[in-house]
This record gives sequence, structure tokens and C-alpha cells, in this order.
Amino acid sequence: MGRRYGLGGPWVLRGVDIDLPAHTLIRIEGANGTGKSTLLRLLAGIDSPTQGRITGQRPRTAYVPERFSAALPFTAAGYLVHLGRIHGLRTPEAADRAQSWLARFGAADHARTPLPELSKGTSQKVAVAQAFLAEPELLILDEAWTGLDTAARDELDRAVAERVAAGATVVFVDHDPRRLAESVDTVFRIERNGLRTASGARTAQTGPRVRIEAEGPPGAALPAGLPGAPEHTPTADGGVRFTVAATHSDALLCALLTARPPWHIRQLAAAPGPVQDPAADGPAHRTPTPEAP
Amino acid sequence: MNALLRYQTALLVRSQRWLAPVLLYAAFVGVGVQWGQPVLDSLGYAAAGLLPVTAWLVQLCVNQEPPAARAVIAAAAGSPRAHLAALLAGTGCAGLLGVAATAVVLLISRPAGTDGAVRVALLPAGTAGLLAAACCVLLGAAVGALCTRPLLHRRGWSLAATVFASLLALVTGGSPANTAVTGLVTGSRTGTVHLPVLPFAVAVVLAAAAAALACRPAFLRG
Repeated sequence: MGRRYGLGGPWVLRGVDIDLPAHTLIRIEGANGTGKSTLLRLLAGIDSPTQGRITGQRPRTAYVPERFSAALPFTAAGYLVHLGRIHGLRTPEAADRAQSWLARFGAADHARTPLPELSKGTSQKVAVAQAFLAEPELLILDEAWTGLDTAARDELDRAVAERVAAGATVVFVDHDPRRLAESVDTVFRIERNGLRTASGARTAQTGPRVRIEAEGPPGAALPAGLPGAPEHTPTADGGVRFTVAATHSDALLCALLTARPPWHIRQLAAAPGPVQDPAADGPAHRTPTPEAP
Repeated sequence: MNALLRYQTALLVRSQRWLAPVLLYAAFVGVGVQWGQPVLDSLGYAAAGLLPVTAWLVQLCVNQEPPAARAVIAAAAGSPRAHLAALLAGTGCAGLLGVAATAVVLLISRPAGTDGAVRVALLPAGTAGLLAAACCVLLGAAVGALCTRPLLHRRGWSLAATVFASLLALVTGGSPANTAVTGLVTGSRTGTVHLPVLPFAVAVVLAAAAAALACRPAFLRG
């Protein structure tokens, strides 16, 4: 697809072909003014392409803009309830989820504050909470981390990992090249108005990692598509030791505990040191190493 | 769509931007409609004033969100639906205003023709007044939708076009608003009530076409 503004304007994007499969985290890169935001707006269905089209049924979509200082005459919670209803939730459910998402990003105290009185960071938290309210199938984040405090950034990383684990497609732009680096499935780069794949696999493991020892039901295989594609090694006593990026640990625990039949978690600890070879990270990989109790 | 309408209406009501057009209309009706005047005349006058006020209210609704908030809504609901909701919210508020004005006019006017000799029954007069008000509201909504985002972006052009198009819609012979209002005023001279059914149907078609054009995804940049 392509997009240009005005009748004879220059093409911002041209010949862009992108597929958005489920369970995928996609990063879009590019210099300033190359059309990253335009692409995100096209994907979110806010804008429509001048040329070409977007196929497939419109998924439940949520979008987080970069700077959300909305001077709207609502309180934070009131705004979120409206948004929840627009996403198709019933009012009580929308109110519940609004509270819990605000609390998750550390903005519960501001639920009753009118939006125009919120600080820039807290406004951004409201914008982020809005996106997660309705458990979107397609989540578009345009530098959503900008303006958030460290705790909220980490929480957003985790929330994104959870969405991907739950089957959503998440597309994001961020200036920090390490953002979610360990879990990105595809990186696209916008160059000369076109889109090209920058790298396919996950990049080197940098952030903190968590080790989870779990025991599956007798004879059960590993659940497919575990969040964060954890490394897993069988332990001597019949369990499995998973090592996963800390961002994905909650989602992985959740996946194991809710698997059918469920897994039993034995032990949970921070993993010591960085992992040796990034290429060795993959869901099909299995290293039989002797285990010490 | 209900949630979107609720959101847009809440925005309009809480922002208090509706005050200016509604007060202006109240002043317009207050000056022109006096106690004991012939009912059909006053209904025509009250209906005519609704047209520019509707255009104003519709444009308020379309432009009341900052771009970031609009993008969030457009992603959640789709740009065309979000835009349509804004148009409908403005039109709905103007419609309520029209119903209220018609009711007030019916209450305080004299149920007679201009010369005072012929009695005018209130029920058909009220129906004709409501239909005329609906014609003006729908045409005003069409003018409001066509003379702003996404078709006209510059504020100055938008305002000039709205004023010009509203005036044109009111004075051009054959326009549904003009036909409906003229029907009421000329009917008042003889004491006969003309139901503006055909102008209403034309106004519905025009408003729907304007909304369809303004909600074309190709024009909406969110």
C-alpha cells in the first residue's frame, strides 16, 4: 500500500507490504520523518492508504499516540469508561478494568483527576491504560513509552508481553533500540519510502532473566507457543527448567499454570548472568545438561 | 455506535461549547417570537434560525477533540464511524433544540392566521413546524458536515463557507429549508397548514449524502 497527503503530494510510503500474524511483536524502525507514524496510523485504521488496501477483518484495535495530553472535560476514570464502552465493554466492566489498569501503571490516585490537570506522564499512563482495557487483538504503540516513569515503562513492557502471549499482534515504534529487544519477532525498517525487514530473529539477550523450574503432568509435552520463547532444559528429577526474559516471566508462569493439564511450579529465581549464545535461543532448542539439585 | 454517541455528546455537554450557539438561538427566537403572534409565522421563523445553529453545533462536535484523542477513538471504532458519531451528536443536539423551540412557539403563539380571522389547529401546525425544523436541522447538518474537517481544514475558509452555505440554503428557492419555511409563512396569511413532507424527504437525502461524503475513509486522516 502507499500513502501520500494531498492530491499531488510526495509519497510518504510506497509499495509497503506488511503481514500482521497473531502472537507477534513487530518493531518499526526508521529515521525521523520517514513515515513510521504514518505506517502505524494506516495499520491502526486511523488513516487509509491512497494506494492499495488493508485486507482481512478489522481486528479489535487499540492505539497509543506518542503525546497524549488530552484537554478533554473528563476525569481519567470517566474517560477510560467511555473508551471501554466504545471498545464494546459494558459500563461496570469498563469501570473495573479502568481502575485496575490505572493501578497497574501507578496512576490509581489520579482516577478522579480531570484530564487537563494531569501531568504529561500521567496523561500518557491514561493513554496506555485505554489501549489495554479491551484486550485488543491489534495493539499499535507509537513511542508509547515516552514520558512514562521507569516503573510504568517496565509495566508496559510486561503488559505488551502478556498481550502477545494472549495471541495479539503488537506493532511498536520506540527510540530506544533495546526496547523489548529480547522478544521482538520481526523488525522492519522504513527506507526510501519502502519497508524492508531489518532482522528476523530475536536479538541478544540483554535484560534481566528469570529461571523457572516447573513440573509437567506425567508424559505431557511442553505447551506450544510459550510466551517469550523460553529456553528449557529437563532437570534430573523429571522437571523442566525454563529461562526467560524477566519481561515475559509473568506471562510464562500464567501460561504454565493455566495449561491443560496445568503445570506445577517448583521454584522461581533470578537467572545468574547473561546467556551465552543468542542464536541458541529458540522454542525447539533443548540442551541436556546435568543438573545439580 | 451508542457508546460513540454518548462519548461525543458528553464531550459537547461538558465542554460548554454548546452555550454560544444555543444562547444565540435563544436570543434569535426571543427577539422574533412574541407572545400572541400567529403560530405559523413564528414556527417558520424559529425553524429558519435552526439551520446555521445546527451547522455550528455539528462543527463543534467534529472539532472538539485534540488530534491524539481523535486518533485513539478512530483506532477503536474506525475513522468513518467516529466521524459519523460526531455528526450525529451535533445533529441530535440541534434536533432537541428544535423540538424545544417548536414546543415553546406552540405554547405562546396565537392559534390563528396572520389576519387573525382564521383559526389554525395546533396539532397540524405543530406537525408542520416539527417537519420544517427537521428540514432546517438536516440541511444545517449537511452544511456543517461539508464545510469542515475532513473536507475543509482551514478555519477561516471553513467559517466563511459555513456562513455562505447556510445563507444560501435558507434563501435559495427550491432548497428544502426554504420551501418548508416559506410554506409555513405563506400558509399563515391564509391560515392553511402546508405539511412539508417532500422537502423533509429531500433534506433527509441531502443530509445522508453529505454525511456519506464527509465520512469517506479516503478523506479522513483521523
